[in-house]
Amino acid sequence: MKYMLLIYDNADTRELFFGPEGKALGEEIETLMAELTASGELVGGEALANPAQTRSIRPRDGAPVVTDGPLAEAKEHFGGYLIVDCDTPERATEIASRWPNARFAAMEVRPIMSVGSGQEM
Amino acid sequence: VRASNVEGRLRDLAPQVLAVLARRYGQFDACEDAVQDALLAASRQWPQQGMPEHPRGWLIAVATRRLIDEMRADRARRVREDAAAEPEDGREPPPGEQPSEGDDTLTLLFLCCHPALRTPSQIALTLRAVGGLTTAEIARAFLVPEATMARRINRAKESIKASGMRFTLPPEAEWPERLNSVHHVLYLVFNEAYVASAGPELQRIELAEEAIRLTRMLHRLIPDDGETTGLLALMLLTHARRAARVGPDGALIPLWAQDRDLWDRAAIAAGVRLIEHALSSAPIGPYQLQAAIAAVHAEAASAEETDWRQIVSLYTLLERLAPNPIYSLNRTVAVAMADGPAAGLADLAAIEGDERLAGHHRVDAVRAHMLELAGDRERAADAYRAAARLTTSLAERRYLESRAAAL
Repeated sequence: MKYMLLIYDNADTRELFFGPEGKALGEEIETLMAELTASGELVGGEALANPAQTRSIRPRDGAPVVTDGPLAEAKEHFGGYLIVDCDTPERATEIASRWPNARFAAMEVRPIMSVGSGQEM
Repeated sequence: VRASNVEGRLRDLAPQVLAVLARRYGQFDACEDAVQDALLAASRQWPQQGMPEHPRGWLIAVATRRLIDEMRADRARRVREDAAAEPEDGREPPPGEQPSEGDDTLTLLFLCCHPALRTPSQIALTLRAVGGLTTAEIARAFLVPEATMARRINRAKESIKASGMRFTLPPEAEWPERLNSVHHVLYLVFNEAYVASAGPELQRIELAEEAIRLTRMLHRLIPDDGETTGLLALMLLTHARRAARVGPDGALIPLWAQDRDLWDRAAIAAGVRLIEHALSSAPIGPYQLQAAIAAVHAEAASAEETDWRQIVSLYTLLERLAPNPIYSLNRTVAVAMADGPAAGLADLAAIEGDERLAGHHRVDAVRAHMLELAGDRERAADAYRAAARLTTSLAERRYLESRAAAL
């Protein structure tokens, strides 16, 4: 089963990761990524650039309108994701709990919809 | 020579060639790489230049040469000297040195499905080493990047190397347990083809057919093993419904609504023959029971004319033999069909507290179906919608929404 692990940042975490403590945090991430790569569970993942560079598109009177900046003034914003293919949801949750953001902002584990033909009913 | 003929022949030969190398040189991981290289070379050369007179010998010779080159590159002195003394001309080893092809393939299956390996690695290695598929093909079938699949295969080979496992048949006392994991791997490959994989229809069917091919091979090697026979029967009986289970628009068609004229009668006859033989001659097991259930469905002219009471007894036996809440859930459906929706709902109420079923969309889907049978349209529609929200399959979601909308 494939899961997306959504990594959230808040105003402090981004600075934290690029600040003096960042090296140790980066090493934690590297260790975890190496483990997931070696186990064949890692399917993909990306980190997002600073949310200040976001362009948002929202409907206005039914038509899309583009604005600079994130959708809303949120305390936490989406910072990146991993896709893992795990035997159990517990394993996906364990991986998310070990990602450093789980100690500072938030992580979410979401099952990915499969586009296959589904279980016969 | 047609490329598809070459491919079929290569995949039949793949496990035999690997077994010869692994037995001669040990070093399963290096042998497996060498055989893949040889298969690749053959798939390029044979369609153009024609099949060699002794395809197996050709592959053994090319794979051996690759292996020796690799050993030399590794500067493994002792191994290199041993290897250099080996024939490189494709001669078959003398008969005394050669166990039967059957034992070889069985040994290989046991090794690839060794319980010490993680399940995704077992699956990947089995498809490559026994099935002769490339890493790219396996990755496509399982919808993961090739690098991910390559890691799973490497990890499996590293575990085999680290544990010092040898290329020999395990003692017979260990066979039942070891066969369990072989069956599980083959079942998962088949299931993946049916439920999870996307991509063109053709690709899914190929993975299912690969699972059937490997299971048939295993069945030929141990025809008296009831669970192997049961697994093969289960696959044939399920695969027989392939043309009926998806509509022209890709929509999921449930068993009760399928056009039974589209079922593959030859596959059903073969499956029924296998399961009848297994049930009358071998100790019973979970795959045989699942095949027996599939056979009862296959032989019924319609959902209404199905022997639901027999299905209830088969599921009851299955639950006792291999406790699994999904079997219990399926039993409640058969109870509803045999004794009416009220009996089914009562049965469902008794099991739905099982925490292993918590949040599972099938509980709501089953409840919806029973409420619909009972004529409680409003609550049925609610239950279908609840199930639709919980499923992680797009096809199932569409099907469940359509049931709710039809009420």
